[in-house]
Amino acid sequence: MENTTAIVETHGLTKRYGSGVLAVDSVDMSVRRGEVYGFLGPNGAGKTTTLRMLVGLIRPTSGTATVAGYPPGEPAGLARIGSLIEGPGFYPYLSGRENLKVVADMARVSHKRVDEALDIVEMTSRAGRKFGTYSTGMKMRLGVAAAVLKDPELLILDEPTNGLDPQGMAEMRKLIREIGQGDRTVLLSSHLLGEVEQICDRVGVISNGKLVKQSTVQELIGDKGVVVKAEPADRAGEMLTHMFGAAAVSREDGFFHLKTDPSRSLEINRQLMGSGIAVSELRPFEKSLEEVFFQLTGDKQGS
Amino acid sequence: MIATIKSEWRKNRFRPAFLIGSGLMAAITVLFYSVSWYQATHPGSAESPVSILSLYPSNFVNNAMAAGFPLGAAMAIVLGAILSGSDYSWGTLKTVLTQGPGRLTTWTGRVVVFMTWMGILTLVIFGVGAGYSAVIAATQNHAIVWPATTDIVKGLGAIWLLLAAFGSVGLALGVLIKQSAAALGVGLVYLLAVEIIAVRFVDGLNSGAYKWVGDLFIGQNATALTQHFAGRAVSTSISAEQAVLVLAAYIVGLFIVAGGLQRMRDVT
Repeated sequence: MENTTAIVETHGLTKRYGSGVLAVDSVDMSVRRGEVYGFLGPNGAGKTTTLRMLVGLIRPTSGTATVAGYPPGEPAGLARIGSLIEGPGFYPYLSGRENLKVVADMARVSHKRVDEALDIVEMTSRAGRKFGTYSTGMKMRLGVAAAVLKDPELLILDEPTNGLDPQGMAEMRKLIREIGQGDRTVLLSSHLLGEVEQICDRVGVISNGKLVKQSTVQELIGDKGVVVKAEPADRAGEMLTHMFGAAAVSREDGFFHLKTDPSRSLEINRQLMGSGIAVSELRPFEKSLEEVFFQLTGDKQGS
Repeated sequence: MIATIKSEWRKNRFRPAFLIGSGLMAAITVLFYSVSWYQATHPGSAESPVSILSLYPSNFVNNAMAAGFPLGAAMAIVLGAILSGSDYSWGTLKTVLTQGPGRLTTWTGRVVVFMTWMGILTLVIFGVGAGYSAVIAATQNHAIVWPATTDIVKGLGAIWLLLAAFGSVGLALGVLIKQSAAALGVGLVYLLAVEIIAVRFVDGLNSGAYKWVGDLFIGQNATALTQHFAGRAVSTSISAEQAVLVLAAYIVGLFIVAGGLQRMRDVT
């Protein structure tokens, strides 16, 4: 799938632990350069294990992966990747700034870049405080700062809004959008569907270790439509079938579901009213990513 | 490698565990001298008489050796376990390993910095011992005569080797167990109980036929090295040269084993 533009490409990536647990099962994943890719899945689906394999922390049992042009864990590849995997990991007795300097030294990045990274995540004024005294939101921001320190081509963020309050989540989403502008690729894992829907260009859905879907958010959500409730229902049904064809009209719980562009709502209303049919409800219909997610992962909560 | 050492030094130079550990070793040295000084100037306060002459600067290397083992060794195990184990519990290992340098490079940088800290700890023990002995000599109106430079250097080297060897045990246990608390617990129990029982058992097997095995244990060689350098009564058949070689072998062996573990294992 568009190999020439892929910055992350996996083929049959599999991880089976010694206990026999199959955490990741033959994942074929492709993340294109410059996009914000959402990696969706319920807790325990295999998201973090996959991401850990992409940065070389875990060795796959089988399969291959290419990340930023190199096999996972290659120093040359890691130099192009910034990551925040399963929460920020820093030394609690050091300040935020000192922690970033430790990371910068390890990554051979100038200390000047530390101040730039702190500025990006708006942590400059709090950088002198010890990491151990930070709130969850501040810790996450510092984690993102460490991830952007190398000015990486690829940013891998594993559930960066975990543990944040609603305001913190909104701020983090804004931050990720800003970081993801331009040529930089962002691979964002999350189990928060709204988050992914708001930020991502494409998504991959993983369930029980298998990548069950990979597409744009729009493709995933599918066709849009219009929902109509009108009386008398029999005549309304005839009229709508006449307008859109039988295949595009379905009826459920007294509502007509029309597979058509919601911009035709005004026309539908006029036609029905003009034929003496009373319209009590008319609204656009769009499947939420949440519904699709639950369909794909087979989660009963969605049904 | 230089970048890794620089990074490891930055994060460990003001590490509370090392600062507290050094402070404790300084305090223990001060306590040792204070108690001995009191006993030397108050006849009858100790079971066996303490000579004030043994507390003067000419003997400070011997006294520093006494602080180095077993107390210094226990401290080295604790610090080694904290250094390597905490990276697992704080989740900092993943941060370090995703920056670029290879796993063995990272491990080597860490060990280099740890060995530097063991050197600092050695200097603290020697510095405090030298200073206190000079204070005692001055207070007693005794001439301050220092040991020969070669003796000081040999003593420094011996204590550093000893701390480095036991610190390597702590480092390796931290990597093996993936956390600090259990690692330092296991290390201390080994030092204070397991090895003593094991050596006693091995030495007694088949009328001492396997004593050479007992002579390869780390604590036995540390004891032998301390006795040889401190000029005390030597209660072991292990020569100073053998002790140096065995302790150095422990450092190298544990470095390779722990480094191999860090290289091969998944970071989960």
